[in-house]
Amino acid sequence: MTDQKPSMLMPALVGGAVAGVLSAVPFLNCLCCLWIIGGAILAAHLLAKDSPVALTAGDGAIVGIFTGIVAAVIDAVVSIPFQAINSQFVQKFMEGLAEYTEEMPPGWENFLEEGAFEPSAPMFMLGLLISVVIFSLLGALGGIIGMSFFGKKRIQEDQGVIDAPKDSSHRQP
Amino acid sequence: MSPKNQIIAVYLFILVGTFLWLGTIFLAPYLKSQSSSMSGFLYALFSPVCHQLPSRSFVCFGYPLAVCARCLGIYVGFLIGVALFPVINGFSDIALPKTKLFIILTLPIGIDTLGNFLRLWASISWLRFVLGFLWGIILPYYFIVGIVDLAQHRSQSPSSASKRKSE
Repeated sequence: MTDQKPSMLMPALVGGAVAGVLSAVPFLNCLCCLWIIGGAILAAHLLAKDSPVALTAGDGAIVGIFTGIVAAVIDAVVSIPFQAINSQFVQKFMEGLAEYTEEMPPGWENFLEEGAFEPSAPMFMLGLLISVVIFSLLGALGGIIGMSFFGKKRIQEDQGVIDAPKDSSHRQP
Repeated sequence: MSPKNQIIAVYLFILVGTFLWLGTIFLAPYLKSQSSSMSGFLYALFSPVCHQLPSRSFVCFGYPLAVCARCLGIYVGFLIGVALFPVINGFSDIALPKTKLFIILTLPIGIDTLGNFLRLWASISWLRFVLGFLWGIILPYYFIVGIVDLAQHRSQSPSSASKRKSE
């Protein structure tokens, strides 16, 4: 039997590009890891849309991992010009909050500066490597969630039934 | 390896990984309080996945944790979800959760995040934590099932089958 599953490259590139850019843009990046999970869900949707066969949770994990890798690279590149704006944004945000909140930990003014590393090529590569690993895991999670939404659609359409057959990768009854 | 053993292996790997991940979140402020230079590395480790704003983070050992309250809630929820996995799902026949349940648990954190994002309101840290926790609880039921499915498909693929044959 031939493998009829479509290529994962395009869905991963599109999902990764969306997630990577949104993760890097100041203000938008305060949604933390949710962009990566969202990008991987988008990639799973694109993959399932073009697939003539039913896809499994494992397929979602793979496309999610690729999406995470693409997102990490794009995030690292897009973040470079935004670095100064990002720290300015965080500083302004913190100062604004400090005016009316008592939750601020002591010494917060110095905290951001102390925690920051001096930008350098080795630090950039190390940061990219860490991002690739973490984004891949988050991407896998998003891809699996996306596949649980969209992966079984094809089976239902082909068979004209509402309930998809149950196996280890299907939903709970 | 039998399918059940494969599920247990994946489960234990994810359980240990989640423990380490959460431990590192608390280790960062501890090392900071000890003036260790490693703390900077640990904070940097989490910077790609969290804004780390001190005002939105819990304080431990006199310093903010390595992630914000919402992210901490997600990770703690994830750990509890992993811990409950054998009780709720078992290891013999695992399946993805119902979409309806995912939507029910996602709506509160989605609405709260959107409201904060649009500056309609500012939630307190504990509310962020609780909503993150609720969402995080369901995530391992996707992650474990997906990784097990991936591992089982890899071990059944033609290349690995021929590799086993040649051995």
